[in-house]
Amino acid sequence: MRLLSAIWSDIKFQAKQGFYLVYLIITIMYLILLSMLPPNVLTIALPLVVFSDPSVLGLFFIGGIILLEKSQGVMMAIVVTPLKTEEYVLSKAISLALVSVFAAITITALSPIDNVNWFLLIISTILTAGLFTLSGIMINAGCNNVNQYMVKTIPYMLLFTLPCFSLLGFEYSYLFTVVPSVAALRLLLGAYHGIVRYEALGLTLYLVVMNYLFFRNSVRIFENKIVYQDQKL
Amino acid sequence: MINFIHIKNDLKQVFRDPIMSVLLFAPLLIVAVFKLLIIFLFPFIATKFNFDLSLYYQYLMAGILILISGMLGIVIGFMMLDDKDGNIAELMAVTPLGRSGYLVNRLSFSSILCFFYSIIAIYVLNVIDIPFYTILLLSILSGVYSIIIGLLIFSGADDKVKGLTFAKGLNMLGIFAFSDLFALNWFSILSLIFPTYWITRIIESPHSISAFLLGTSIHAIWLIYLIYRYLTKK
Repeated sequence: MRLLSAIWSDIKFQAKQGFYLVYLIITIMYLILLSMLPPNVLTIALPLVVFSDPSVLGLFFIGGIILLEKSQGVMMAIVVTPLKTEEYVLSKAISLALVSVFAAITITALSPIDNVNWFLLIISTILTAGLFTLSGIMINAGCNNVNQYMVKTIPYMLLFTLPCFSLLGFEYSYLFTVVPSVAALRLLLGAYHGIVRYEALGLTLYLVVMNYLFFRNSVRIFENKIVYQDQKL
Repeated sequence: MINFIHIKNDLKQVFRDPIMSVLLFAPLLIVAVFKLLIIFLFPFIATKFNFDLSLYYQYLMAGILILISGMLGIVIGFMMLDDKDGNIAELMAVTPLGRSGYLVNRLSFSSILCFFYSIIAIYVLNVIDIPFYTILLLSILSGVYSIIIGLLIFSGADDKVKGLTFAKGLNMLGIFAFSDLFALNWFSILSLIFPTYWITRIIESPHSISAFLLGTSIHAIWLIYLIYRYLTKK
């Protein structure tokens, strides 16, 4: 119940900050862009657009959200409320994943593309969004302003995105699937191009495990570095 | 003299924070990455997918110039938002520097950097053949565009999260640089009022006086309006 209330207040906050409006505009822009592409290019471009923007939006926004809440003293309030750190982090990840899913579904539904596995699209978008939002919470520790946060995301982004080029295919390139972002992109591509059931299941399970590990780690870092600022005994 | 001292302090502030200095040099990293992509990835795409990207180099160059100026504009926008949070902007307003002096210092910092980075980007990438005076004009317009982005973020956002939302939305202005590719009449007409469209237009017509004049006018109108809005805002 506490978690649901936290998610709802996060959604209201995001709506107030204009997240939904800005993503509506971005979605329209992407639709214009995608409508110009020939069908063979669209089948490649559409998953890449969904992966590179809506799925990753959490990483972009979570830095500002936490910095703002830190400056407003929300962290101090959390310590004295029944809301657990796990619930706070989970609420942020879920609410941002909802924006991702909303944008991914809208872009896909309004694009001229057939045979989309909607279940897989939603699952892969949620799991990808979770990974990036939780990474953002970990990166945020020690940042005092948004510019610092943006710089600190660069190595993580490179670490996540460069291995994705392995999907172009070369010898042993499948080994790169161990990088969570590559596994996420494979699953997302599977939602559009089809994927063997066992591979989809394996990738989903792997991403669930990675999300859980990222979650535990982000909760630990969030408590130590952001809430207690290394002052916990 | 006061301006000079303030710029010196700004530079000190930036270089004292290694992360800020990285951010200011990031455009050079972008140029290096694109140079590598042009050398290695583009020929690979051309052979594997039979898709010749060199036909779109003018759009690529425009995209990179917009990316660099947009990025520096966002950096300066967030620096100013931080100043707003720390009440630095109000403090500056009562110093001899004044409200407009503070604005000039902050924004000239990003636009001068942007000017030089744009020249470097055009020469290093070396994908378009344009005369030097067009390169100069494009670099000046890129500097102005970084100011426009910085001012849009600063005047539009009340806090950091709104600033990020604005930055995300403002990134989309870049799409107007590619509007001619979409073959949509209404979209091309709409693009005329956005500075990004004119960057591509000038690259495509490097000798056209009308493109120069219209492009410069559109940038100037946006700039003057945003400065006026800043100075008249309570």
